[in-house]
Amino acid sequence: MTLLLFTVLALIALVGAVGVVMSRNAVYSALFLLVNFATIAVMYFMLSAQFLGVVQVIIYAGAIVVLFLFVIMLIGGQIGPVTVGGRRYARLLALVLGAAFLLLVVLGLGAALPPGEAPLGAPQAGSVQAVGQELYTTYLIPFELASILLLVGMLGGVVLARRYRELGKD
Amino acid sequence: MNALTTVRLLLPELILLITGFVVVGVDLLRRRNDEGRSAAFIAVVGLLLAALAALALGLSGTAEIAAFTMAVDAYALFFKAATAIGIALVVIASVGYMAGRSRYLGEYYALLVFAALAISLAVSATNLVLVYLGIEFLSITSYVLAGYLREDKRSEEAAVKYFLYGATAGAVMLYGISLLYGATGSVDLVAVDQALQASGSSWLLGIVAIILLLVGFGFKASLVPFHQWAPDTYDGAPTPITAFLSTASKAAGFAVAGRVLITALPDFIDAWTALLAVLSMLTMSVGNLIALRQTSVKRMLAYSSIAHAGYILLGLAAIGVQEPFNGVNGLLIYIFAYLFTNVGAFMVVQAIEQHSGSNDLQAFAGLIKRSPGLALMMTLFLLSLAGIPPTAGFIGKFYVFAATVQQNLLVLAAVAVINAVIAAAYYLNVVRYMFFIETEEEKPVAIKPSLNAVLLINTVMVLVIGIVAQPFIAWASESVNMVIAAGF
Amino acid sequence: MVPTAYVLVLSAVLFTIGAVGVLVRRNALIIFMCVEMMLNAVNLSLVALSNQWGNLTGQIFVFIVMAVAAVEVAIGLAIVMAIVRHKDTTNVDEINLLKW
Repeated sequence: MTLLLFTVLALIALVGAVGVVMSRNAVYSALFLLVNFATIAVMYFMLSAQFLGVVQVIIYAGAIVVLFLFVIMLIGGQIGPVTVGGRRYARLLALVLGAAFLLLVVLGLGAALPPGEAPLGAPQAGSVQAVGQELYTTYLIPFELASILLLVGMLGGVVLARRYRELGKD
Repeated sequence: MNALTTVRLLLPELILLITGFVVVGVDLLRRRNDEGRSAAFIAVVGLLLAALAALALGLSGTAEIAAFTMAVDAYALFFKAATAIGIALVVIASVGYMAGRSRYLGEYYALLVFAALAISLAVSATNLVLVYLGIEFLSITSYVLAGYLREDKRSEEAAVKYFLYGATAGAVMLYGISLLYGATGSVDLVAVDQALQASGSSWLLGIVAIILLLVGFGFKASLVPFHQWAPDTYDGAPTPITAFLSTASKAAGFAVAGRVLITALPDFIDAWTALLAVLSMLTMSVGNLIALRQTSVKRMLAYSSIAHAGYILLGLAAIGVQEPFNGVNGLLIYIFAYLFTNVGAFMVVQAIEQHSGSNDLQAFAGLIKRSPGLALMMTLFLLSLAGIPPTAGFIGKFYVFAATVQQNLLVLAAVAVINAVIAAAYYLNVVRYMFFIETEEEKPVAIKPSLNAVLLINTVMVLVIGIVAQPFIAWASESVNMVIAAGF
Repeated sequence: MVPTAYVLVLSAVLFTIGAVGVLVRRNALIIFMCVEMMLNAVNLSLVALSNQWGNLTGQIFVFIVMAVAAVEVAIGLAIVMAIVRHKDTTNVDEINLLKW
């Protein structure tokens, strides 16, 4: 049953991914991206990472895709129809590179796969409490650094995107 | 471990953190015509204090804090001190350059301080979570800084190229990390090594993970073939930021790559030294050959900076346990010498740029008659870049070249020497322009006092490292001993 | 239970699609979306591996990656906006003021 659900979700995620790459319109790409993110969120729940599932919906689906859509709407007509790749050989090269990469990674994964069967995921494994506990003990410094990173993002966003007036005119 | 010890060990980071906030705060209260001077002053003081704290920690003997995903060891402290000093120089040089070009000067200095914080944590990281976060933090800060001149299309273009390459490289590196996690169940560097040894690590996994990780590190350090962003970004970014990207930011890439490879993947040493040797040869050859054809000095220095990444990489490719050239100490010395040399060279370009609005070779013509001091300093920096004694660059080149010879990597050594000769040609071409080409321009180049201070510091440091090299060599060698001993 | 290997293969395929997208598309916004997709693919494999190993490290990593991605999007879109104001294009081939 879970396997069936997983297969269906995987197919949806793949369709979303291909849609992002192939769409002729940036708005469609963003919507396909949303599909991709949402299915992955469901998979997080299946993999007993409830907290991340919720965060995935809030951050990726809620904030990131919406931000993309905002920007597309803001620059609107200027985007025009988007072309897929200029030169044919470039496209071919990309596909070959992609295939080679996939081969490399699948081979690497075969070697990387941890031994033994997966332990039955305890329902509470990825709960808010468990993740929080780990985050505030072992990973305190990365966590704090991430918060400063968010501040830097804010500063950078203001500096780069604020509508500017000519220098000296104020 | 009690709280006081933690605070003591994290002192450089805490100083940087507080400085960053104070700089933003001061900028809010500043007077209209201050032009970011007070913010810059506080940033410099904070950066120098952080460097001092790192040096003091290094002298007092070090204790590790491994509990919080980082190690405060001599290796990390070396890079903390070096990059904080480098960024302080960049801040001073920015005062005259950025005033009048941007409205957000406080944020500019704050971002530079936060970049120092990111480097400081990244070089300490003993855990792949912090490695990833530190590198991405540094990258994101650098994207903003590269695109800081909103009125200048070239600066915007520099930012967008840097950003697209950087984001992709980050994702690829992350995939490599996930492979390591999958194979070992841990992201702690030491634990990864132990698990790989226990499970009789598979070659294939090792190679794939190393390649993917090297994409991320190679991007930061501008190694060929991950360098495509570098010429455009170095050329388009504000000149002080170019100096920052080509020195401190690059040093962080090498520091992190060194620690991860040595600590987590010593089992695969044959694989990664071979890979790095190839990358190193490619990087210096491509960088030097393209630099040879440039007519803009800023762009020439950009390509030469790629080539220098190749020389620095020699140190890791020729890693060994024999004294006195274990490779990694060469890497540290090279980076330290290169820091002052390259910041200096870019600052001369900045002075010329501000004077004549151009950074073409022609703008350097007859400089010896107009501003003999500037011309002599530039000559010194170029000689140091070319690795001619008695400059700092010579010491760096000597140590990495000697390591390749000691490891019997003779092909690598030969390629490096040939490259050094090619590089000397285009460096000396600039000298030729400054000394022997006539020009109608007769006005001496006006240099802002802040820029003058930076130039003087760099000149002194290039000479001091070149002539009294022993203490610096000892410092670098002691800094790497523990990391190498723990790895092998 | 879903076998971890299946999730990892899915993640590898998603990552590759994203990487191919980065290579073939010439629109800065779409390239950027593809990068986000690559990050998500890695996140998926980290969560699956976290489940497999029975520790939370992978999930913590994903949390950090999400923070980085959020900031990256904010900065990246700000840069794209700045470029559009100057040049009215998001095509990376037309962003070529600096010669190669």
